Amino acid sequence: MPSEASGNAIRYVIPVASGKGGVGKSTVTVSLALALARGGARVGVMDADVYGPSIPTILGVKSLPAMDEGDKIRPVEQDGLKIISMGFFMTPEQAVVWRGPMLHKTMQQFLNGVIWGELDYLLVDLPPGTGDIQLSLCQSIPIAGAVIVSTPQDVALNVAQKAIAMFRSLNAPVLGVIENMSDYVCPHCGVHDDIFGAGGAKIMAERLGVAFLGAIPLTTVIRRASDAGRPVVVAAPDSAPARAFFDVAERITSLMSARPAGADARPQVTF
Amino acid sequence: MNNSSTAPLEIGRTNVHDLKIRWADGHESVYPAADLRLACPCAGCAQQSAPRPPGQIRLLPAGIQAIHPLRIELIGQYAIRVYWSDGHSEGIYGFDRLRAACPCCIVKRRA
Repeated sequence: MPSEASGNAIRYVIPVASGKGGVGKSTVTVSLALALARGGARVGVMDADVYGPSIPTILGVKSLPAMDEGDKIRPVEQDGLKIISMGFFMTPEQAVVWRGPMLHKTMQQFLNGVIWGELDYLLVDLPPGTGDIQLSLCQSIPIAGAVIVSTPQDVALNVAQKAIAMFRSLNAPVLGVIENMSDYVCPHCGVHDDIFGAGGAKIMAERLGVAFLGAIPLTTVIRRASDAGRPVVVAAPDSAPARAFFDVAERITSLMSARPAGADARPQVTF
Repeated sequence: MNNSSTAPLEIGRTNVHDLKIRWADGHESVYPAADLRLACPCAGCAQQSAPRPPGQIRLLPAGIQAIHPLRIELIGQYAIRVYWSDGHSEGIYGFDRLRAACPCCIVKRRA
């Protein structure tokens, strides 16, 4: 059942979360969104990391959203994606120093005050943690399934499982776990090096009973492409790192299509 | 986390005061409005219902028996918010807590 709010019809809302910061959530969000869009899906990206918005940089967005006559925000459209971010409304030198109510209001504005139109997927790039923004999102719109990003080392996995616990406590399904920065291959000598370890996310996913969605390698190619505003999925779609993102996106679409009928059913309120 | 058998299917009322929930496992719970209002889980009400030192009385909402729900709002996939006739609407009632607080189940457990 699409989530309909303010004229929008969004089929699947997929938050991308990690618990811990610095594990590559935003890069993964953008890359998955682009991979889904290349598969023909209508995709939106909501940058909910209001403290450190990085989606505009990763996508190299130069334009700004416009306001329509009804004071609604028309999202930036680029590379087949509809994009909204706090980064569009502040300069890089400014900081967001807000308490919960303001964050909640911003989430409401991003969900209901933006002309998303009809979307198959809305990917929501969450900030680190299990706080106000995560709670506001889960209270405001039905979640189809959360994607958890973690690097393989224990310090990230220990926090990632808190994100899984949070979604479960809010009865929001967890689609699975992505291991980012999984394997480093030296571009000069070809030697593999597990800088942050390897396989930890898969073990955690099995232990917690969620799907393992795939592993994304640690490569300079991804970092360089993201910094240049041309994510690897667009800049080098045939490369191994891009294929890793396409594989994960395909698993997500498979999981979505395999959902049982009525998975999105909400209780009927008669009052 | 709610499991699928105890997810609510229908939320309504039996009369102007009492709230009714039909759960996925077929069970029906009826919650008297006054009890539900007194069990409001918001920070302010929870503080009122917390254990207090002897001599410190609990302040109940005025006309508690007349208070009734005006509107129910679904909160995400895990809870409801009740808009009460006394103007209060801060409490978010999780489905898990509501199921655990089903009056007839409590009676059965005590029997």
